[in-house]
Amino acid sequence: MNKLHFKVGLFAAASLVLAAVFIAYLLHARGFFEKTFHLQLAATSADGVAPGVPVVFSGIEIGRVTTLGLNENGGIIIHTEFLGRNAKWLKENSTFTLDKPIVGGAKIRVDSPDLRAPALPDNATMLLLTSDISKEIPALVERVKAILANVEYLTRKDGEINATLASVKTVTGRMTGEYGVLEGVLGSPEKARAVTDSLDKTRALITKLDALTAKTDQWLFAQDGMAEQTKASLAQVRLMLNDAQSSLKKADAVMANAVEISANVKDGTQDIAKLRAEIDDAVRKANGLINEINKKWPFAREPEVKLP
Amino acid sequence: MAAVSALPDDVARVALDLPLRANLSALDNIALIPLYQRHYGAAESARLAQAMLDQLGYADIALLRDPDMTPAQRFVAKLARALILKRPRLVIDRPGAMLYDVPYPAFIRQLAAQADMAGTWEIFDFSWNQALYKE
Amino acid sequence: MNFLAASIESLGAKVVGWFTVGYGMFAFLAQAGLLLLEPATWNRATFDVVVKQIYFTAVQILHVFLGYALVISWLIITIILSTARDFGLTEFASEMTIRVLVLELLPFLTALFVALRSGSAINTEVALMQVNNELDALAHCKVPPMQFEFLPRLIGGVVSVVTLAGLAGLLALLMGYLAIYGMNVAGFEPYTRTIAKIFDFRIMAGLIAKCALFGLAVTLIPVTAGLETPKKLFMVPVSVLRGMMRVFFAIVAIEVVSLALKYI
Repeated sequence: MNKLHFKVGLFAAASLVLAAVFIAYLLHARGFFEKTFHLQLAATSADGVAPGVPVVFSGIEIGRVTTLGLNENGGIIIHTEFLGRNAKWLKENSTFTLDKPIVGGAKIRVDSPDLRAPALPDNATMLLLTSDISKEIPALVERVKAILANVEYLTRKDGEINATLASVKTVTGRMTGEYGVLEGVLGSPEKARAVTDSLDKTRALITKLDALTAKTDQWLFAQDGMAEQTKASLAQVRLMLNDAQSSLKKADAVMANAVEISANVKDGTQDIAKLRAEIDDAVRKANGLINEINKKWPFAREPEVKLP
Repeated sequence: MAAVSALPDDVARVALDLPLRANLSALDNIALIPLYQRHYGAAESARLAQAMLDQLGYADIALLRDPDMTPAQRFVAKLARALILKRPRLVIDRPGAMLYDVPYPAFIRQLAAQADMAGTWEIFDFSWNQALYKE
Repeated sequence: MNFLAASIESLGAKVVGWFTVGYGMFAFLAQAGLLLLEPATWNRATFDVVVKQIYFTAVQILHVFLGYALVISWLIITIILSTARDFGLTEFASEMTIRVLVLELLPFLTALFVALRSGSAINTEVALMQVNNELDALAHCKVPPMQFEFLPRLIGGVVSVVTLAGLAGLLALLMGYLAIYGMNVAGFEPYTRTIAKIFDFRIMAGLIAKCALFGLAVTLIPVTAGLETPKKLFMVPVSVLRGMMRVFFAIVAIEVVSLALKYI
């Protein structure tokens, strides 16, 4: 027996076995032996989404974006791929949210509130929601701050009437501007065909209104004597909110429209029903908020604006 | 001596400036030729090389490497390598430089008697060594 | 003016010299590659020489090499883990460890190891063969030395570096697992996920290609450097020196190019 050949043979055999085991392990790890599970996500904008963006569930990566494309209506279709073993986390009531953190890469977050729900079929289409409120909140807060600053200036005790009236003008002007912005915000879905954006904007509006009410509550009941004009200007605010409400209704209609469009994206109706429910919920919340404002404010029955 | 190194291709030379491959045994050095020139198998080549050494009466040097051989053994290995080339002429170039430990004309004559080769053997040597070849 | 002309001339000579060396190397490689395509090359004798080369390049040093890889891996893993913990980046530690060790450091060190041990030996041997007229003797016998001297060395070098780097990488993966998760199977799933994330097809192919190029560099360059040696015994050390310099530059160049392709 040749000792040298024996040793080399042993070395080669051991290396080959290890290499084969490692390759088999790697193929297993990369899901070569499993069925791949595909899922399409419909979105309004593919901003920040690129092939390779991870899909995470509870912070653990379970899939990846493979390709991006447009459908016939100009909507964005994001194709994602999952390993067969990870498909069990995708349920019919799962929500898919695009997360764009201030630091780090974008990712698509999956939330499955009920793991007993029926599993998603292969090649299903779901809607991708956007949650980068990180960008919109500061802008809204700034606007609300500007309004509040003006309102506070308006209601100071030693304020001269002329100055107050001037302020009313300014505030009204601003509010019209603000209203315009709101309309712009709420109107934009008319242009955007997909649904998620408008839904998101609705949420942002609620956030804003919440902030506004909290602040108004504070100063409204702290100060008892208020000039008539001031009340009038506040009535303007209420009017604005009423308008906002009607805009929300308009947005609702737009969303109904958008749902119809996204229905073309794929035949999956279950997710659209879910989306409708979400929109209704959002609109209902906004309505409730406006009603509350109406109740709390003492000048609810004076819708007209009087200006000198 | 430029004439010797400029000999045509059909001449097999045994010379000081054509050494054996140092890290191969004598047998392997000889077996290289059937192995890589005529594409014989490894076992067949080794058998041919061993037969050549047996014929020259030096079977025992088969496993020795160049540095372990005496000048005479080294010469035999080189000669075997030249013979296995099977060329019509064999030229031994200045044998005195390689065979400094034996009376080389007699030694070569004895080897020539043992080897069976179709061609001619020629010895190139310095003229002042001519006397050595006269028996 | 003369000085300028002289420096331009010396620069030109250097460029021409480098070009000649590069050309010689690639011509040699092409010759070896063509020989590889010939069916006559694939015989038992060549195989035996290849086996011998692999024995001397890889098997003989296996225990030393694995011990050395073990120590280096353990050190690097410990450093990365403790640094990652200090900066609160533990989640990236395993990926970082694998990338640094398995993809970059271990193949590089393997190439250096084989270059220092076998590359220098090959360079010296070929230079001595050249100086000793052994190559002329082979030419006289019409035996081309490529098939039984050089080609097996190239194949042996490539096979050895790929295998040694692979074994060291597997060892480092095992060590990384033990260092992060300890002696239990709890971490198997997350570790598998990390490995799956890193080793896609491109990375694996790149790693193997890089190791193969390393193996080629640490054998091809010494062989050609040895063949360039003038027939003077005192030129052998100079030849080894030049060859080893070129091997070092080649290894670094391959590493830099592979990093650039991977991350740029």
